[in-house]
Amino acid sequence: MNKKYDVIVVGAGNAGLAFACTATKNGLKTLVIERNILPGGCATSFVRGRFEYESSLHELANVGTEENPGSVRQLFESYKAKVNWVNEENAFRVIADGENGYDATMPAGVEAFADKMEELVSGSRESVIALFDLAKKAEAAIAYLSQGKADPMVMMSEHADFMRMASHSVDECLNALGMPEKAQNIVKTYWPYLGASTDKLDLAHYLIMMARYIAGSPAMPLMKSHELSLALDDVIRRNGGEIFYNTEVKEIITENGKAIGVRIDEGEIYADCVVANCFPETAFSKMMDSKAVPQKALRLANARKKGELFFTVYLGLNRSAQELGIKDYSVFLFNSPDSLQQYRSMDSFDESFVIVNCLNTVIPTASEEGTCTLFLTTMLSESAWAGVNEENYKEIKNRIAKRMIELYEEKLNLSVKPYIEEIVIATPSTFARYLNTPNGTPYGYEVQPWDTMMARIMNANNEQFVENLYFVGAHGDRADGYSSAYSNGNSTAGKILREVKNSGKA
Amino acid sequence: MAKHNLESLNPLKFTELIKNRETEIAKANPEIPKEDLNANFLAQSLHPMKQTLKITEIIEAKDAKIYTLKGEKCAYFTSGQYLSVSVRIEGKTLSRPYSILSSPKDALKGFYKIAVKRVEGGIVSNFILDNLKTGDTLEVSEPTGSFTYEPLRDAELVVAVAGGSGITPFVSMAKAIVEGSEDFSLLILYGSRKEEDILLKNELDSISKNCEKVRVIYVLSEEEKEGFEQGFINAELIKKYTENRAFSVFLCGPQAMIGFADKELATLDLERKYIRHEVHGEVADPLTFENFPENTPETVKITVYSKGEKKEFFAASKNTVLRILEAEGITPPSRCRGGECGFCHSKLLKGEVFIPKELDKRREADEKFGFIHPCCSYPLMDLEIEVSQ
Repeated sequence: MNKKYDVIVVGAGNAGLAFACTATKNGLKTLVIERNILPGGCATSFVRGRFEYESSLHELANVGTEENPGSVRQLFESYKAKVNWVNEENAFRVIADGENGYDATMPAGVEAFADKMEELVSGSRESVIALFDLAKKAEAAIAYLSQGKADPMVMMSEHADFMRMASHSVDECLNALGMPEKAQNIVKTYWPYLGASTDKLDLAHYLIMMARYIAGSPAMPLMKSHELSLALDDVIRRNGGEIFYNTEVKEIITENGKAIGVRIDEGEIYADCVVANCFPETAFSKMMDSKAVPQKALRLANARKKGELFFTVYLGLNRSAQELGIKDYSVFLFNSPDSLQQYRSMDSFDESFVIVNCLNTVIPTASEEGTCTLFLTTMLSESAWAGVNEENYKEIKNRIAKRMIELYEEKLNLSVKPYIEEIVIATPSTFARYLNTPNGTPYGYEVQPWDTMMARIMNANNEQFVENLYFVGAHGDRADGYSSAYSNGNSTAGKILREVKNSGKA
Repeated sequence: MAKHNLESLNPLKFTELIKNRETEIAKANPEIPKEDLNANFLAQSLHPMKQTLKITEIIEAKDAKIYTLKGEKCAYFTSGQYLSVSVRIEGKTLSRPYSILSSPKDALKGFYKIAVKRVEGGIVSNFILDNLKTGDTLEVSEPTGSFTYEPLRDAELVVAVAGGSGITPFVSMAKAIVEGSEDFSLLILYGSRKEEDILLKNELDSISKNCEKVRVIYVLSEEEKEGFEQGFINAELIKKYTENRAFSVFLCGPQAMIGFADKELATLDLERKYIRHEVHGEVADPLTFENFPENTPETVKITVYSKGEKKEFFAASKNTVLRILEAEGITPPSRCRGGECGFCHSKLLKGEVFIPKELDKRREADEKFGFIHPCCSYPLMDLEIEVSQ
């Protein structure tokens, strides 16, 4: 244990892995320490009976196609990571209950999406096209800002729409665009992917995410998320990096206000910098000397809203998707067309919205022939889970799962229950156990009007609280999502590499 | 017609983002964030990394003992789950899975019960039976395993096919039904050689006497006695006691007995979802598997990497990689020891292993990137392996 590293990464989640890939690719001597026995955090899979289940991925944005690769595919290619991608052609199906409810199946691709919307909501096409044009403007502004300079004059003259989108909510912007209400509602379907309500979430963030799904050819790895994580594990090893699994970091060691290494059961390990792929508050409260944490860091952690809780049901069915009449990969089931009502549904585990995915519709080999898997997700607010205890845990867990399955059967008019060969139910506590995040959320901090992606990016330099200690992950600037986490890990490595270069060390 | 642009919105609001953020931060509490979130609290209480328990009572039975393990707090569980019990033998930490026979509510009262049966060549079982006494402490895992009744999956009637100490998960299920923490009907078919070999008979009799939902049928293979079925647990017997009702079958017991029952069940034409096996416990001898390749070397060289350390040694090959490692004092995490739980997930850097198809529960990508579960992998040649101790 007397080795010294350039960098120690605490946690092999998506961002930690991407960080380590970029760091090792550029010659940094890197050690990754992971408390679980597997890499990936959320990005994993598990086996029960004859089924292997994707544990969390719905679809990965911005993978693109071989001919027209998106940022994620490019990043993986730059690592020479061995992943087989399978593109998903349809965007989503959404069924919203209640007055003015609808059942809409939306295709991917901007033109097809706009055509379909026009068919559903006459007179909406132009506003939808205008929206996707704004998405391009947002990407252009982000590209400009990521060069590290932000001339106010240039911003005002060339990126004024971006400034509007980045400081106004999805709702405010869609109203300003003059988009018909029903079209607005359908456009907002993806809000659960960011888990923030559309009256608080800024349009810039939502739109970039949405366009990356609709226009950016989303995809899934052929062998579920475990393939992504093992591919990155493989890259780190090939690049000469080291990974310790099943090893818990007990302390991030600081000296004179600087991070200098970590302590594990076997002893202390030193490094020039420590990159924590965990919530800042987890590091502050459990791994660090409280005196080493500046008050402002704690204030920030306390000011932020933690992401929502997750509850997922994994089903292995002993009939094929075709036999059961399952056609859609991704179906959103909402209690109302109104996204704020949908958001509020998370306050009750008897009413929360449900998203259902059937991987076999995209990857027929996702399970044995004659079978299929279903993956049902709902999200809950902290208060919805507050009354659960050890004794009512199992009953509540089965009650929620039953409601989710029956809702799907009812809305899609098909039968699932008699064909359940395997069932696994992951509650917020299951997520908490594996992810070790507050309330088990995979989502980092929920976007608030003062805590948007842009507010995070612009304040990043003021929020490097402990020297040589960096945080990467869903709680980072780009918030949740696989592609955001990879990008966050990669860009943080880039930043450290620039600093190393500037200090003349490398 | 509406003009589709954002010009009605003020772009300068963007310039307030930094200021607004500072204002919100300044308003917030500067204390270390409190850890009182219910999902984390429950995760901790349901899934502690380890539990240190004291043996408070040992009850002798034929070739077996029942141990009561007490803790300040015992993690709640679902009947059918097991504990991975660790012991130190000659300086090496070895662990084995034991199904919990006490009820979930007993855990809340602060204890578990497990049964340990003497097995020929059973290193850990025999060590526990011969050495552990009241007052000793034991380290056990969280309760784990998926050999549990699932109301959304299983038939309302569960037929338990049990043999030997394989009765234990069903005793816990029976108690849970009595307590009301489970709600299903349980028909236990318990196979033993002779009446005297029946484990926990008094307990089973008293439960079935007082609870309509639990019925126990003892099946003796080497004795004919009134009030007992005679022979082996076969299709005939299952049909006789299930009387045309739909049912799920749960099997737990010695390999030979389960193998026989499986063949019998095949004649009943049940859907696969209605047949569930408890798989924990490894098969030490690979020659048990029909397709184990011939002419494998008797001795192999094993090179192990763990946290940057390297160790090399020679070992007899006819064993699981996990047991080979443990014999050298290398202990990757392990739980089920039957291929299923994936706790011993390790990277095979060089060499080839034999993995019986029926035990191979790896993820698809594990094969692509060369990961194995050492508990059900047998060396076919010299190996290099990286483990996470």
